[in-house]
Amino acid sequence: MPVDPITLTIDDKEVTVPKGTLIIRAAEQLGIEIPRFCDHPYLAPAGACRQCYVQVEGQGKLQTSCTVAVAPGMVVRTQNTSDAARQAQVANLEFLLLNHPLDCPICDRGGECPLQDQALAFGPGESRFIDAKRVFPKPVPLSPLVGLDRERCVLCARCTRFCDEISGDRFLELFARSAGERVSIAAGEDFRSPFSGNTIQICPVGALTATPYRFVARPFDLTSGDSVCQHCSAGCNVRVDVRRGEVVRVLARENPDVNDAWICDKGRFAYRHADAPGRITTPLIRDRGLEPASFGEILPWLAERCRSGRVAFLTGGRLMDEDYYALSKLARTVVGTNDLDHRRAFHGGLAEVVAAAAVTDRERSVTYRDVEHAPVILLVGLDAEQEVPILHLRIRKAAARGAKVFVVHPRRTRLHDVAEHLPTRPGHEVFVLDRIREGVDGESFEARAAAALRGAGGSGVVLVGERLAEHPLAADLALAVASKTGSRFGYVTRRANDRGALGAGVHPSLLPGGRRLGVAGERAEVEAVWGSIMASEDGRDAQEILQACADRLVDVLFVIGADPLRDHPDAALTRRALANVGTLVVQSIELGDLEPFASVFLPAAPAAEKDGHVTDWEGRSQRIRPVRDALGISRPDWEIFAGLAAAMGSDLGFETLEELHEEMASLLAPRAMPERPNVWAGAGPPQWLDDLTLFTYPLLVDEGRLSDGAEELKAALEDPAFAEMHPVDAEKRGLADGVDVRLTTAAGDATVPLRVTEHVAAGSVFVPFNQPGLAANSLLSGRSTASVTVAAVDEGSGPEAVPDAALATGPAA
Amino acid sequence: MVFEGPLRADADSILARYPEDHRRSAVMPLLYLAQSVEGSVTREALREIGALLQITTAEVEAVASFYTMYRLRPTGTHVISVCTNLACKLRGAEAVFEAAHEATGVAHGAELSDDGLFTVHEEECLGVCDFAPAVQINFCSHDTVSPERMRELVAGLRAGEVPSPARGPAFDSFKAASRALAGLEEVPSA
Repeated sequence: MPVDPITLTIDDKEVTVPKGTLIIRAAEQLGIEIPRFCDHPYLAPAGACRQCYVQVEGQGKLQTSCTVAVAPGMVVRTQNTSDAARQAQVANLEFLLLNHPLDCPICDRGGECPLQDQALAFGPGESRFIDAKRVFPKPVPLSPLVGLDRERCVLCARCTRFCDEISGDRFLELFARSAGERVSIAAGEDFRSPFSGNTIQICPVGALTATPYRFVARPFDLTSGDSVCQHCSAGCNVRVDVRRGEVVRVLARENPDVNDAWICDKGRFAYRHADAPGRITTPLIRDRGLEPASFGEILPWLAERCRSGRVAFLTGGRLMDEDYYALSKLARTVVGTNDLDHRRAFHGGLAEVVAAAAVTDRERSVTYRDVEHAPVILLVGLDAEQEVPILHLRIRKAAARGAKVFVVHPRRTRLHDVAEHLPTRPGHEVFVLDRIREGVDGESFEARAAAALRGAGGSGVVLVGERLAEHPLAADLALAVASKTGSRFGYVTRRANDRGALGAGVHPSLLPGGRRLGVAGERAEVEAVWGSIMASEDGRDAQEILQACADRLVDVLFVIGADPLRDHPDAALTRRALANVGTLVVQSIELGDLEPFASVFLPAAPAAEKDGHVTDWEGRSQRIRPVRDALGISRPDWEIFAGLAAAMGSDLGFETLEELHEEMASLLAPRAMPERPNVWAGAGPPQWLDDLTLFTYPLLVDEGRLSDGAEELKAALEDPAFAEMHPVDAEKRGLADGVDVRLTTAAGDATVPLRVTEHVAAGSVFVPFNQPGLAANSLLSGRSTASVTVAAVDEGSGPEAVPDAALATGPAA
Repeated sequence: MVFEGPLRADADSILARYPEDHRRSAVMPLLYLAQSVEGSVTREALREIGALLQITTAEVEAVASFYTMYRLRPTGTHVISVCTNLACKLRGAEAVFEAAHEATGVAHGAELSDDGLFTVHEEECLGVCDFAPAVQINFCSHDTVSPERMRELVAGLRAGEVPSPARGPAFDSFKAASRALAGLEEVPSA
C-alpha cells in the first residue's frame, strides 16, 4: 500500500495510488492509455498540448489529466467511457494537425512518432482544414547536432522545459505568440549544451531531429540492443540501434536508478569509434610488417616471452568487470607480477580502498538516489558536467528540490547557478577540507558547509573527484569529513569502468574486493579462491611501470585498452618507455597512436560486440549485451587473457562467462569495510606561492579515441586548446584576454590563446587535457598539475616562431 | 555596446529596483530602455540585457517577441497601431487602417515608410472597445478614429505637432514613450 493512498475510479475501475499522483499516471496503472504530447514523467506538468482531456465528475469543464492530481473518491472518465472527452481529443488532434505538413514519408520520426501513432489511434482520420498550411524554411540548424523543422512542431514545450528544468541550459524558448508562436533559439546563438540531444529524443513529433541520423534509417530497418554507455563512469543505460551491422544511433533508456531518461551528447553522438578506420580484427605481428596472424601462432610466442621476461600491464578504463578480473588473476597467479595498474596518476589512498571495497558493498556506497535526495552535497575536485554529466544532472535535480550544494574546485563549474563555489587553487583543497572537518565557526564557506553537513542528519553526501587524490592526503581528508559529519562518501573516478578495475584489483597493491596485498589475512582470502599469489610485494604503479620500461627494467609491457601517449600525464616519459621496452603488446580495438611502437597487436572486441558487466561510479555493476557479432577474430579481453594463461601451461579456472561470474561472485561478495583511521594531523596555514600552478582535466568533448568519427559532436561542442588565468595574475604579467601565451613547465612548453576569467582560482592556470592544438600531457611530469610560467609570445617573432608541430606535441622526446 | 555611459547608469538604476535574486524581473523595463535609444530592440541589446540579468539571450527574446510593444525590426519615429479586432472592425477599422497606410506612405505588407517617419502596425486589441475604432500613436490612445481623423493625425505629426491623446500623457515619439515606459521619466499627468 502506498504512502498516503488515494483511491479513485477511472472508467469504472478502482485504483489506489500515492497522494499527488496525476490522473494520467493513475490511468497508466490500470492500463488505460490517454493520448498526450506535452506530458513527460520527468518534466513538471505543463498542460500545453491539451490532448489528454478527461471528464471528472462534478467538474463543469473537461480537465487535462496530465496536470490534475487525484483526489479521494474522484470519478474520472477517459475517452473510453466519455463522449465529451473523446470528442475533445479528436478535435484537439485535428487542431494540432492543422499546420502539420504530414510529411511522414520523409520524416526521421515516421514509424516511431507519437503524433503519427496517436493520430492513428485517437484522431479523426480526416481534416476539415482547406486553407494553405504555414510553411517555414527547413530545417533550421540549432547546432551542428540538432535541426528544427518548425512546421512539424505542436508547441508542447517539452524541449524548452527540458532546457529550463533539467539541464539549465536555457537556449530554447517559445518565441512570439498565437499563430506565430514557435520554438526558437536566439539569432546567432548555437544550442551549445552537452545535453541537447535529449530534446530530440523527447520531441513527440519530428520537429527536432539529429543531424547525424537525419535520413539515415527507418525504424523498421534497425535492430536494437540494450547497452550501457562507455564514455564515462555515469553508467547510463542506452539503446544502441544498428543498421546492416553499423551503429547508427544511440538513445537513452529509462532507468530511474541511474540516468532517469537522459544521456549526454557524447554518449548519444560518439558512436562511430568501433567502425572508425584503423579497427583491427586479427592479431598483427610487427616482425612481419604488421601482417595478420592467428591467435594460435601469437599466443605461444607471447607466452614464451612472458615466461622468461619481466612483465607489466597497463590498462585503460574501457574494459569490463570480467576482463579486469581475468587480468588481475592472470598477473598474480600465472605471470607472477604485481606491476599492473589501471590508473594514470591518481592514488586515492584510503578513499580508493574504501571505494574498491564498496564495489562489493552497495549498502555503504553513494548512489544516484542518495544524491537526488541529499539535503547537502559537497563536491571536491570534480567538474561533474564535463566529467560525469549525468551525475551533474542529478546534482541539479537535488538542488531543484532544495539541496544546498557546495563546490570546492579550482575552476567554476556549470553548477554555478545552483551551488556555492569556493575557487580553490589546486593543492589547497586540503586546507579547505581541514577547516570543514574541524567545523570552524563563523560565516565562511567552510563553516557553512560544515554546519550544513552536520545538520543533514546522515543524509549528506561528499563526492570527491579522482584529481583530488593527487594530494597524498586530500581524499583521505574528505573521507574524514564524511565520517565526522555522518555523510555518505563517494570517490568518483571518471572513466567508464575505473571502478570495475579497482574492484577487481588491477592495481599494484589491491586485490579483488579492495583486499590489500600487504595484509596477510586479506591476501589469504583471495588465495583461498585463486591458489598461490606468486609475488607478495606491492607492485609498480603506472608512472613507475613507465619509468621501469624507460630504464629497460621491463621486457614485456601490455597496454590494454589504453593510450598512454595521450592519457598518461607525462608524455615524454611515456615516449621513452614505449621506445625502450623489449616487447610492447597492444591489446586494443584499433591501431591508434601506439602503432609505431607496438611489437604485436591483439584485437579486442568493443563493448558493442561483447557480453559482460561495467561498474559505474556508484559501484553499480550493470550487464551489457552485444548488439552485433565481433568483427573478424577479435574477442573479449578476458578470453585473450584466458588464452594466454593456457599458452603458458596454466589455467585461469574458467572457460565461460558463467564460470567466471561464479568465481568473481565469491570474491566480490559483501564484506566488512576497512576501518577509516584518522590520519590527518592538521595542515597548518596554506603556503601561498608566488608562481602559478597549471592544472588540467579532460573536457567532455575532446580528442579522446572514443570520440573518433563524431564530427558533428566535435563541431558542436569541442573548443580548440586554450589557457585560462585569473585577471589578477594576468594583470601582474601584463597579459590581455585573447593574446597567445607561451606556457613553460619542467616538462615542456606550448603556445595557446589566453582567456582571462574570474572563473579560475587566482594562482592557477587551466588548460584542457586533450583539445585540438595541445596534448596537455606534454606539459606534465606524472601529475595533473605542474608549476608553470606564462609569458606573452613575442610579437616580433611572429607565428613562424611557433611551428605547428611544437604546438601539437610540445618538445620532441 | 548599447548599454554604456549614461544608458548604463539608467540600466543600473532600473536593476536597483529589484532584489538581487529577482534580477530577471527587470527584463521588461530594460527592453523599453533599449528601445528608447535605438527605436527598436536590436540583437545587440537582447544579448546585453541577457548578460545584465544573467539569463540567456533566448530568454530575453522570448519575452521581447511575445509582447507587441517591443519592436524587433527597424521602426519609424512614430508608431501607429490600429486595432482591427472584432469591435473595431465592425465600426470601420479597416478603412482607418487603409487611411493610415495612404497617409504615411507605408506600402501594404510593409511596416515602415520609406522616409523612416512612420511604422503602421495592426493590433489585436487595445482594450477600449467602447471607443472603437481604437488607435494608439506612440502608445497614446486616440478614440473613435475615422479615416479623416487618421489623415489629420498623420498630417499633424508630419508638421511636428504632438496630437493630444484621449487620455494620459502625450509623447512626441516612439522613443520618448519607450523611455517613459522604462520608468525613467516623470510622466506628466494628462
